[in-house]
Amino acid sequence: MTGTPSRRGWPEQTIGIVSPLLLLVAWEAASAAGLLRPQFFPRPTLILGHALDLALDGSLGRHAGITTARVAAAFALALVPGVAVGLAMGISRRVRDGLDPLFAVTYPIPSVLFLPLFSFVLGPAEAALVATSAMTSFFLVAYTTMTGVQQMDRTVLEAATHFGARGRTLFAKVLLPGAMPFIFTGMRLGLGYALIVVIAVEMASAQQGLGALLWLSWGLLKVEDMYAALGAIALLGGGLLWMLDLCRRRLVPWQPDVAGG
Amino acid sequence: MPAGGGRPKVQLSEVSVAFSGHGGTVLALDRISLDVAAGEFLCLVGPSGCGKSTLLRVCAGLVRQSAGEVAIHAEHPGTPLTAMVFQEHALLPWRTVLDNVVFGPENRGVPRAERQAHAREILVLVGLARFAHAYPYQLSGGMKQRVGIARALANDPEVLLMDEPLAALDAQTRTIMQEEFLRIWAELGKTVIYVTHSIEEAILLGDRIALLTSRPGRIKQLFPVTLGRPRGLEVRASPDFGALVDKIWAELREEVLRATADDTGGSPS
Repeated sequence: MTGTPSRRGWPEQTIGIVSPLLLLVAWEAASAAGLLRPQFFPRPTLILGHALDLALDGSLGRHAGITTARVAAAFALALVPGVAVGLAMGISRRVRDGLDPLFAVTYPIPSVLFLPLFSFVLGPAEAALVATSAMTSFFLVAYTTMTGVQQMDRTVLEAATHFGARGRTLFAKVLLPGAMPFIFTGMRLGLGYALIVVIAVEMASAQQGLGALLWLSWGLLKVEDMYAALGAIALLGGGLLWMLDLCRRRLVPWQPDVAGG
Repeated sequence: MPAGGGRPKVQLSEVSVAFSGHGGTVLALDRISLDVAAGEFLCLVGPSGCGKSTLLRVCAGLVRQSAGEVAIHAEHPGTPLTAMVFQEHALLPWRTVLDNVVFGPENRGVPRAERQAHAREILVLVGLARFAHAYPYQLSGGMKQRVGIARALANDPEVLLMDEPLAALDAQTRTIMQEEFLRIWAELGKTVIYVTHSIEEAILLGDRIALLTSRPGRIKQLFPVTLGRPRGLEVRASPDFGALVDKIWAELREEVLRATADDTGGSPS
């Protein structure tokens, strides 16, 4: 394996920026020429204008802030027990055997369906929304972490033991760092899912947040605002994943850049 | 030749190893008795699957023998008895070269400054001083194996165990590394048990060669290597070298054929 840190040359990066811009330009042109119905596809420049209005009066920032806080809370709620349970399942066969059937039937349930239950138990407030959004994330993080422990090279483990790593040392210096690349893959997937479910629950039941903004704008036929909310969600998701990748590069410097997750 | 000091450094008496598998137990090693003198470079040669690596792991304490005894005479109490160089280097990918090399002493509680200074000396010895802060993925196969050797040496073992350390390398790198071993070993004079499937490599490096039979592994014959030291690659051209290769191959060939016959004989392993 050759480890050149920056494999992406300029052309590739430019393509990544140019292609969505081209799409917007085409959209703009098609709307201006009357090829797209403005009720459904208002011109991007018009949407941008509405987005700026929403940003300037502070409402876009408020909604985005609320959504971000919810995603962060849900992600944290999924991450900590997810990594702990995943490590335990990876290390101990007994834990794995004990949890596997339960997880196997719980994991496939679309997490939004937990909202009624959690609302019933936790009250129809933030807590229920956050707990619901954490569910799928938790399973993803737990499963990838478990895989991270299980896939460790047996000779590496043998060598680590041979050079004196046992018990807690083996865990902290070998198993945990060995699982780190997988944990980050799980985090990447889990973060995406946390966002998806937060938005979905906001659409279904909240008055605040980008999902609520999108849904309410649609209900009032404020199509431009709906697109503005959609764009803000996309940017928020991209931004969060970008920050996660930055963390990965800092915390997993021993891996050359790979397509994350 | 290093002084033997009377008592053997490693003493294997009647060591047997049996593995229990699906179809009952398989005897991997059968009553191996072998003495290795202090400072001796002993090579283990045998057909694939004869238990060479298992014997090494018994010496390392990674595999427990089913019967018999392994005694390693410790001259420096407090340091580990053995340190192993693994075939696929088995470095910790998340540790830099230096951090891999200090791993053993770190786990033994050697103070940080001391273990780092010692590790740096050893990195100079194996020619990797400039790569102390590189990660394994940034190194070539030969360099990774140098790190593997440095990690073993840094643990100050009484006996160095090497499990086909060059098998995964290309032919040119392997030749370079053989020369390097000769140099490093001449400098340190450690007791070495070296597993290889290459007769030429065994003769080039070793003081003595133990030929194992096909499974279950027994000591078939011991060959002293009479070539002088210091030794370089040029000994490969000497008539003694060629004669010894032929002599060992004649014995090994029989075992390889038998191992192949066993494999094609249909008994599931």
